[in-house]
Amino acid sequence: MNMQVPQNSRTSGATHTADATTVEESLAIQEEQAKYDDKFATETAMANTLLTPRFYTTDFDELDAINVDGIRAEWDELIAQMEADPNKGHFKKNEDWDHVDWENMEPQLKKEFIDFLISSCTAEFSGCVLYKEMKRRGNNKDITQLFQLMARDEARHAGFINDALREAGLRVNLGFLTQSKKYTYFRPKFIYYATYLSEKIGYARYITIFRHLQEHPEHRFHPIFKWFEEWCNDEFSHGEAFALLMKTDPKLTSGRNVLWIKFFLTAVYATMYVRDHQRPAFHKALGVDPDWYAHEVFTKTSELTKQIFPITLDIEHPRWQPTLERLQRANVQIAYGKKQGGLGGKIKEWLGSAKAASCFVSLYAIPANKHKVPKITRLVPAY
Amino acid sequence: MGLLTKEIERAPCTVEISHCFESLHAHVRFNNGAVIYPGDEVKVQGPEIMAAFGEVVSEDREAIIVRASKLEQLWTRLTGDFEVMELCEFSFSEEVTL
Repeated sequence: MNMQVPQNSRTSGATHTADATTVEESLAIQEEQAKYDDKFATETAMANTLLTPRFYTTDFDELDAINVDGIRAEWDELIAQMEADPNKGHFKKNEDWDHVDWENMEPQLKKEFIDFLISSCTAEFSGCVLYKEMKRRGNNKDITQLFQLMARDEARHAGFINDALREAGLRVNLGFLTQSKKYTYFRPKFIYYATYLSEKIGYARYITIFRHLQEHPEHRFHPIFKWFEEWCNDEFSHGEAFALLMKTDPKLTSGRNVLWIKFFLTAVYATMYVRDHQRPAFHKALGVDPDWYAHEVFTKTSELTKQIFPITLDIEHPRWQPTLERLQRANVQIAYGKKQGGLGGKIKEWLGSAKAASCFVSLYAIPANKHKVPKITRLVPAY
Repeated sequence: MGLLTKEIERAPCTVEISHCFESLHAHVRFNNGAVIYPGDEVKVQGPEIMAAFGEVVSEDREAIIVRASKLEQLWTRLTGDFEVMELCEFSFSEEVTL
């Protein structure tokens, strides 16, 4: 079976293989379509970018055992909001999509911006694969419904970013399925912590850039930033869903698990700091100082995660910022060592890794701020 | 499933690839109810499935599932969590310089 939805309509007779009345007609349509695809690919000399999502399994029985009855009111409200799909039809180009001068974009900025688009597209895509798998393998109606809705949003975002990539002459290749892929395993609670944080920090990152560009539109070097507000509202509701999932089992946010929460908070904040500082041209073009940005995003994320986590990191601690800076330098050293190769390079790499590890331990050891978790979990985007 | 031996299984599957503006996704569904466990490897047989922009392609294919040995499955369950950070999205790749 091969269902194809041609992009361009043809002028006469059937335009779709499904409408064809004879075999000959069907073949002719397919041939025509193939010609068009080849011609398009050759003419535009599109570079192929193979998306390489990872594949996961988890404990699906544990997911099935989740019971949302204790938080039914909050749960139903969130699902109803997601089902109403306020962002349907939003992610498409309209008259606000200004022309992008890819030709004249400063080369380093172009590289970093394309890295941003590809990484974001892959992340949305992987999210879609993960959520869809959870939907398919689960038997609990509440849970499968949630994951289906989230998979929908992720696929929509991926499609939108893909469109921006096409404009830049990059063609995303989805042929990875015919390559061998190994399924790794994550415990459900790790999926909750990691994904919850990723969605909430994603919201904080996008909304901070969106508000900054509202005040400084001269720095908006690509129209995709205009769509960040609605985009991050989706991330926000996905985060809400994971907060509610964690709420169904108080053990997940108490006792020894608080140490895991601290681990994830530290790892996510530190990784974000390091990655952002590796893209100076991107942040300069936006007119954003990455140190200011990191602090702003951490502050917002901490405020949001108080909805479910009993601790937040003390980002005002005197050791916090200097240790992040040292971690960033250690990371650069590791990369230089790798590039240099040989024994000297290896030693550089090891020293860098040791420094990075000690920085992480030092960040983790900063005492966390404790607070009471509110009775009502649900929040609305307010930044 | 043996402790150290891998078993190979064939499963009919349906692959759906959407390369549309509305949705960019790719999924495999096993049509015989085969279930994937930690450490298993899956490969869809046949040529690469490509969807041109604006297309949704759905094809019935065969997949080869290389079942992980009992030991490998246990190992994947124990160590998989170390890679959990890759679930987080950071907008950029890990390359230090581009």
